[in-house]
Formats: sequence, structure tokens, C-alpha cells
Amino acid sequence: MPETLLNIQKLVFAYKNAGQTLAEVDFAVNTGEFVALVGRNGSGKTTLTRLAMALIKPASGTIYFQGKNTATMTPADMACGIGYVFQNPDRQIFRDTVAKEVAYGPQQLGFAPEAVNETVAWALSMTGLTELAGSFPRLLSRGQKQKVAIASAIAMQPKMLILDEPTSGQDPWDAQNLMELLTNLNQQGITIILVTHDMEIIAKYATRVAVLDRGHKVFDGTPSELFAGSHDIAAWGLLPPTAVALGQQLAGVNAQNETELVQQIMSIIKGRTGDYA
Amino acid sequence: MPKLAPLTKLILTAAVSVWALLIPTLTGQMALAAGQLLLLAFYRPTGKHWQAVSGLALFAALLAAIQYVFGSGLEFSLMSGLKMFVMSLVFVFMLATTRLQDLTAALVSQCRIPYEYAFMFTSALRFVPDFLEESQAVREAQACRGYVFRGNPLKRLMDYVAIVEPLVLRAVSRSETMAMSLELRGFGRKGRRQFTADVALSSPDYVAMIFMLVLTIGLAIV
Amino acid sequence: MMAVNFEHFSYAYPNSGVVLDDITLDIPVGSFTVITGPSGAGKTSLALAITGVVPHYFGGRQGGAVQIGGITSAQSSMGELAEQVGTVLADYESQLVALTVAEEVAFGLETSGFNRSQIAERVSQALMLVGLAGLEEREVAGLSGGQKQRLAIAAVLVTAPDILVLDEPASALDPEGAAGIYELLHTLNCQGKTVVVVEHQLARVLPYASQVVVLQAGSLQFAGDLRQTLAFMWQQPELRLGVPPMWAIKLTLEEQTGLSLGDWKTEEQAATELNKLTRTCAEGVAKSA
Repeated sequence: MPETLLNIQKLVFAYKNAGQTLAEVDFAVNTGEFVALVGRNGSGKTTLTRLAMALIKPASGTIYFQGKNTATMTPADMACGIGYVFQNPDRQIFRDTVAKEVAYGPQQLGFAPEAVNETVAWALSMTGLTELAGSFPRLLSRGQKQKVAIASAIAMQPKMLILDEPTSGQDPWDAQNLMELLTNLNQQGITIILVTHDMEIIAKYATRVAVLDRGHKVFDGTPSELFAGSHDIAAWGLLPPTAVALGQQLAGVNAQNETELVQQIMSIIKGRTGDYA
Repeated sequence: MPKLAPLTKLILTAAVSVWALLIPTLTGQMALAAGQLLLLAFYRPTGKHWQAVSGLALFAALLAAIQYVFGSGLEFSLMSGLKMFVMSLVFVFMLATTRLQDLTAALVSQCRIPYEYAFMFTSALRFVPDFLEESQAVREAQACRGYVFRGNPLKRLMDYVAIVEPLVLRAVSRSETMAMSLELRGFGRKGRRQFTADVALSSPDYVAMIFMLVLTIGLAIV
Repeated sequence: MMAVNFEHFSYAYPNSGVVLDDITLDIPVGSFTVITGPSGAGKTSLALAITGVVPHYFGGRQGGAVQIGGITSAQSSMGELAEQVGTVLADYESQLVALTVAEEVAFGLETSGFNRSQIAERVSQALMLVGLAGLEEREVAGLSGGQKQRLAIAAVLVTAPDILVLDEPASALDPEGAAGIYELLHTLNCQGKTVVVVEHQLARVLPYASQVVVLQAGSLQFAGDLRQTLAFMWQQPELRLGVPPMWAIKLTLEEQTGLSLGDWKTEEQAATELNKLTRTCAEGVAKSA
């Protein structure tokens, strides 16, 4: 049995002067999962991850992390368990070299100097930033800054990484690079929660998807179940990946990705040529 | 209550300050304070503004108390506390009842203040909520990296770099973008500026101004 | 008729290397031109060269020339160019300077010589056009990301420029918001505006783009219509990832079958053609059986 890392029970949250942002949401994540959290802007997905990180406190409901109730914890307390990567790395980068920047978290958490050096070296090598260790982080490209933010988070040796729309505004090249990095981290045992709008990415990388719609969890399952056609995902503000959407409109085709779609269409076409032969 | 033009309120602000200096008696000052509170009440301000008023009152009381403790006479202490209250209260009245953009329009078109200065003033105010939001976001990002605000004052000050630096850099890049966009929108273009805000004076304004003039002269003579 | 014309244009920011190298490019009047390419390619700099920000605001060194509606950029000011080009920057939130929605839109008209009622009329027209009618008195700070993007567009539209330049207008929006912004730009394009956008998610612009320009490391790699450019990108290993999934499917099928498929702008078009293809095949199977 995999260990339940994050366990959210009957979570309710409401902003002042607004309706409920989250209504009795249950959400549990096991060690090693790669979960995508989706829904339109304002559906409550970021609120949920902010609650998990103790950045805000729920109106009611309980959050357990590694079996411990987090009700009295602060974000700084959570930091050794969960690394939270915000959308805009410019809001956190403040030191004059990449290595020092990445060292900030472990230093704050009280790591010994040798341990800091060790974890920074590991984080930099995982994110492919080793050669940029001495660079001035502000002058890096957007994609590289994002990696500095991820290195800063994993340097604190968290069990879980939460990323808030990390690929939004990135070009396909940077986005693919980032997703490969996350897959790699996931294989190293880090549990990943990805808040995103990008269905192509979900179909390709996530092992599980949870959908929020107006504060309710309306779906929790695998990407292929989500896109199988039995859910009206457009009503949740989601667009299926192109290959899935096209496949659903073609007789005898049921594809999860581009390669499958092309293969199935080709086999229909070849069915004829095969017959001729 | 008749709607007064921003210019009238600006003049009122100046007039109240003059009156506060001219009125020699405690009862007179109290009447002035009561008059302002009454005026404010007529314009139905929000709770936020009443909060500001009570804050000012508290501050004035504190000022009077300190003066008294340090050996000033009771009347003198009360007088200075009241004066301060009266003079600052009128600003609450002005800000509570006037839109900032109208104030800018009045300052530029009627008081002949260069538009660039007035614009600086309003755009600075416009960025206050954005700046607060930004500072909250930076604080949260660093909290997630173990930032805590504790320890001795020196350590706190040193730690604060983690918050201040991203904020300052963001503010710089933001003003850069804004400067660029202002040029793109023809900010420096010459020509008479037509404000969309209507700040023209009407009869209630003239009545109010005559009243203020008479009162000021009266107080000066007495 | 060209709205914009780059003639051997090169540019370097102060204290930096060359970011745009010998660009020759025509942007026809009424076109919907998309600038794409990997990060660091010079997309934003190229867009800013149309608005005059490059080189007027930043300084730096320039070679060659940019003509905007017949005016040479280097010989005119940003203010003059602004009469022809409306710009929405990537950081559009910082572009908004006023307290309320109506004032934001009116801002660009205050020195235009219009009287108050003319300004009010134009403001409400612009807001209507972008779908923000009725929000005149709302505070800018309280708008959503998509609404702010629309407001920034309204604020440049109100001065009636012929050309609109937008740098990644949909990058902070969810899929519905992004689709909404591009539908708006399409409407404006149909009304005769020349639209130039920087966009790296080409899937968003498939239905609308009339010209796609690919930059890579400061050089113009290719400029052509959708079919030509995507076919070019598909051939380049380092650009292939930029081809949207629908066209990746189309181009793979074309490679494997030797057929030539249509220019798919929408999923419906793709589905219709693929259905025809597979059905005739299925019929073929049935007949031969």
C-alpha cells in the first residue's frame, strides 16, 4: 500500500464578500503520484494548493500531511515537506548567484553548512543548472529562472512539489523541458501536484487528474478516463487534447495521443491496401 | 446635500486651516470640529472614513495628553490637540467626498498645477493596491522557502532583504513598462487636455465660497 | 499595400549583442500576422520595432529601416507612430494607469482635441467592442486578468490605430479566456485592422493567422502563410515542437500516405476530412471483401 502523503478532508473555504471557493472538498494524494489539478480560473484549484501549503486557513475541514494535522502550521513549517513553486519566479529571486539563491531555503530550515552545500549541488544537478551556479539569476531566461525556483524548492528536500501553472506563458520548447524535469523528479520519488490548463501536458505526463468546478471536485481519475468522452468536460472549461477530440469524431478510432491517432488512421487505410494485396 | 465642486472643497480645506489658527477659544474650536463632523455626516461616508475619524481623534487626544504631561497648561494642551484634529479632519472630508480623478482635474485645470505632477500623484495612488498585492505575493513565496519574521531587530532587518529586493526590482520593472506605455499612448503630446471629469463650479459652490470668505474676514476682524 | 515593412533591419540593445539580424519582412495591410519562435529569438524586439519602442525608448544600435504606413520609424517619434500603431505590452497590467475603466480608455483621448461628450461616446464604443460595456465605473484593480487584457486593448483601440501589436496577449489566461481574446482580435481584423501578435502556442491562432513569421536566435527563419510556415517548421528538428498537435497529425499522415490534406484551421475541418478519408477506405474494404 502506498503511503497517503496529503489527505484533505471536507475542506471548506470562502473569501470575504464572496461565495464558497471550496465546498467540502476531499482530496488525497499518495506518495509517488503525479497529479494534475485543473479547472477554469476561479474554480478553486489554486485555493486548494494554497490551503495545503498553509498559506491560508480553511473555514472548516482538516488537512493532514504525512498523517499530521496541519491546522496550526505555518508555510515555513510546511516547507520541509512541500516545495511550492509559484508562477512568477521574479517574486522570490533575490540573491546574487544561482547557488546562493538555491541555498536560501535549506539555510532557513536550519541545515548544517555541509548539508546545505550537498543539497544545493544535488538540486542544481537535477535541474541542469550546475554550470550556471555562479550566474546572476536575474539575467537568466524565463525558463531558467523557473528552474532556479524549482531547484530552490527541491533543495529543501521536500516529499512533494506543488507547481502553480508553471508552463503558462512558456514556449513549447521550455515547457517540454520543464515537464521532462518534473517527470525525472517524480521518478526520484518526489510526489508532484501540477496546477495547469494545458490538457496536452496532462494527457502526456500526469498519472491522475482532479477537476474542480466552482469549488466542487467534479472528477478524480486518470487522464484517459477524463477524456474518454463520458464527461462533459467543456462544461468545466476544459478542452480535450487535439488527438482525443479528433479521435472521438472518427469511426473506429479511439486515441489518447497523436501517435495512436495516426497509427489507427493508418491501419484503417492500410486495411484497404492490405485487402488489395 | 448639494454637490460641491472639488475646487470648493480644496478651498474649504485651506479655509478650515486658517479658521483653526484664527479661532482663539476652546468652544470655537469645538464648534468647528462639530461643524465638520456634521458636514461629513451629511455626505454619508463609509465605515472606513469613520474609522479614520476616530483614529484622528485618538491621535489628537494623545497629543493633548503628552503636552499636558510635559508641563503645558490644560487649556493649551486641549487647544493644540483640537487644532490638530480640526485641521486633519477636513482632509478626511475632502478625500471621503471627492473622487481622486476629479481632484486631479481640478488641480490641473483650475489651480494650474502642471499635469505631470498631478498625474504622478494619482498614478502613485493607483499603484498602492497593486503594490500591497505584490508584497503579499513575495512574502508568501519566501514563507514557502522558510522565511520567518522573528529574532532580534537586527536579524529581522537583515532577513527582510528577501522581501524587499524582489519588491523593489518588480517596482522598477513596472515603472519602466509604465513609462514605455505612457509614451506609446502619447502622454508627452502637447495640446490642451480635456478631462472627462466634470469639475465646473455651480451656484452652491459660489454660495459656499462667499460664506467661507465672510467667515474668514469676520474671524480676522474679531 | 504594406502596413509594415522591414528592410534589412538589425538591432542591438545598449550593452548587448545583436538581437535582430538582417530582417527583411513585409506585413500586408489587413493581415493577421503571428510572430513565433523559441524564447530568446527576438520576437518581442521585432514587435516593439513596429511600435517604435525599439529603438526610440531603449536606444541601442540599429541597421536598415522599418517603415510603418509609409513613415520611417527612425525619423519619427513614438507619439507619431502611436497614431498608427496601438500596442499591448506583455506586462499589460503595468500598462494600465488610471483608477477606473472609463478613465483608462479616455486617457489616450484627453489631448486629442475632442470635447467631453465626444470622448464619452468613443470610450463607450471601444468598451462595447471589447465586451466591457457597462463596467465604465469599475476600478481597474478589481478586474480579472482577461478583463484587464480587454481593457488594455480598448485603451489603444479608442485612438483608432490601423495596426494593433500585441505581445503574448493570452499567456496569463485560461483556455476560454485565451479563445475569447483571439476571437476579439479576429473581429477587429475583419473590420480592417492589421493585427500583429507574438504567440508561441500556434494552436490558438490556427483559425485566424494569415501570415506566420518564425524567428530563431535573432534571424528570420521563415515567413509565409500557415501551410508554408508549418511545413517549414515541421522539417526543422529544433522548430518541430512549435507545430500545433493538429498539424503534427496532418503532416505525419501526409508523410505516411503521400496524400495532400487541406489546411486545417479548425477541428471540424480536420474531422470532416479525416472522416472522408477513413470512410472511403472502409468502403474500399467493404467492396473488395
